Amino acid sequence: MKDRSILKGLDRRQVLAGLGAAATLPLMPRTALAADVKQITVTSYGGIWERAIRECFVTDFKARTGVDAEVLIGGPPQWISQIEANKDNPPIHVLVATPDSAAVAVKAGLVDPISVEKVPNLANVPQQFIDMALGHGAAFDYGAAGLAYNKDTVKNPPKSIKEFVERTIAGEWKAGLPTISYAPAPQAFVWSFADALGGGVENLDPFFAAMQKMRPNVVFWTGVTDFLNLMDAGEVDIGVYYDGRTWAHYDTGKTYIDFINPEEGGVMSPVCTMKVKNAPEIAWEYVNSMLAPGPQAEFAKILNYGVTNTQVQYDELRQKRITPWEKTRFPPNDRIGELLPAWTERWNKEIGA
Amino acid sequence: MEGWSYYWENRGSRLLLTAYVVAFFIFLIAPILIVVVVSFSATSYVAFPPREGLSLQWFQRFWEYKPFLNSLIVSIQIALLSAALGALLGVPAALALVRSRRRLANTVMTFLLSPLSMPLIVLGFALLFFLSRIGFGVSFLSLLIAHTVVSLPYIVRTVAGVYRGISPEFEETAAILGANRWQVFVNVTLPMIKPGIFAGALFAMLISLDNLPISYFFGSAETNTLPVVMLSYLEHQFDPSVAAASTIQLLVAIVGLVILERTYGLQRIGMPT
Repeated sequence: MKDRSILKGLDRRQVLAGLGAAATLPLMPRTALAADVKQITVTSYGGIWERAIRECFVTDFKARTGVDAEVLIGGPPQWISQIEANKDNPPIHVLVATPDSAAVAVKAGLVDPISVEKVPNLANVPQQFIDMALGHGAAFDYGAAGLAYNKDTVKNPPKSIKEFVERTIAGEWKAGLPTISYAPAPQAFVWSFADALGGGVENLDPFFAAMQKMRPNVVFWTGVTDFLNLMDAGEVDIGVYYDGRTWAHYDTGKTYIDFINPEEGGVMSPVCTMKVKNAPEIAWEYVNSMLAPGPQAEFAKILNYGVTNTQVQYDELRQKRITPWEKTRFPPNDRIGELLPAWTERWNKEIGA
Repeated sequence: MEGWSYYWENRGSRLLLTAYVVAFFIFLIAPILIVVVVSFSATSYVAFPPREGLSLQWFQRFWEYKPFLNSLIVSIQIALLSAALGALLGVPAALALVRSRRRLANTVMTFLLSPLSMPLIVLGFALLFFLSRIGFGVSFLSLLIAHTVVSLPYIVRTVAGVYRGISPEFEETAAILGANRWQVFVNVTLPMIKPGIFAGALFAMLISLDNLPISYFFGSAETNTLPVVMLSYLEHQFDPSVAAASTIQLLVAIVGLVILERTYGLQRIGMPT
């Protein structure tokens, strides 16, 4: 009789729906069930990046707060979609993103504004690195896109992008250049070369004119590891590439490779950290760990990339390898994002690679 | 002379066909073999043929890099569960639609097969928003539902194909002899459609194991699948451990097929008994 009174007023469908919902409870995301914060979810790229994130930032965060941080491996488009679909109860609490993805997250209202009150280590981060996250985060590490070359085949490397272009046209070497479908190419290559050759974000004519002439001596690549394969195979001698990745390749035993920060300045290619809106407040502490000098110095040691806290003291090797941020150029990411469809169309028409 | 001419013509055609088949298999199998060979490379970068001898270090790396191992376990769980759930939902649907005389049946069948005709990346994106809106969020359950949506058409299609070839008279005879609906299903229909279920479930599992576009949107720290982790790994590190991961994934698929062969027999799959 008691059972009947419990089910009174419910029809068979409602009971079945209730049982179904109950059965799914163990499979529901933990954040939906637990109000107290014992763990947050943070993001990382895969491979050595993930190891560095765990060893440097998660360890520091856990030691300071006692809260664990789970690391979700993937990429910004995937994470931003997941946050967008679950704005009220985001499955991700701290987002790492390139400036273009960071801008998307800010414009979609997915991340919180950052301040020194919330993140004390922000006080030692140059304003440029905060501006590139539109005040909703800060870059915590960066690479510089310059020129990587083979010391065995290029005995007298170029000092500037302009010289690189002239000598590529002259056929002194085979150059490896990214196609526009490689995500960072618009900044690291197209804008960079246009800027170095007297054009700019609004004028790509010098870039396309140079490309037409360089074309016979160029091998195009589409993925970041393709360039290294081309170098290893001896198909290219020099090309646009990043400092940290060049040194990572050097450390695998490929001591033929070297990096040049061109006179015009390598292109600043940072990664920003941002607290997701509606994430627990403790997530700010993780952002603070990512901007802390100690963990950042360790991060730089593992990845050979520059970090943004001015208090960081690099070891001797990293001092030699890492391009100082003052000697880089900051691309106009916002404007490039707006112009990218037109750039891509022009690339397809004139270059077609 | 005519006989000789026929002989040479016939022999020439056979040689051409053999050459075509050999070339076909080389193109099909060579890339897989290269991946397997590279996974045993002693070099720290991807090179073929391996330049510094052979080694098992990349399998050790696979073992030590927890995201690889954890995601492989999730991939296997999702593949098995989505195939099972797909069968649970797809078999009754296929049976009902094949025997239905209503005009709507064809429309419903087309609808059930529609995930096959949609770009999976669009389907994944749509499912992410739909499942999040109804409260499932980014979770193991969502990942399972999404994979089931993709596996369902394979099961419905194969079961429907097999069931369509079976005469209704078998079931009618059993019913006339006194069997109730459940008995007809268990003792008559199920044994006859089993090859279709196995074939569909097998396709579903293989598709699920390899699925990237759907899994991409549902990966959490606990539910990332191997293809998603491999993609992210590849973007930032290019050593042969990704080849080792692919070899292991291949091994999982082969072990599955061997088990199926031993327990059921692959040659029976897809053929009505």
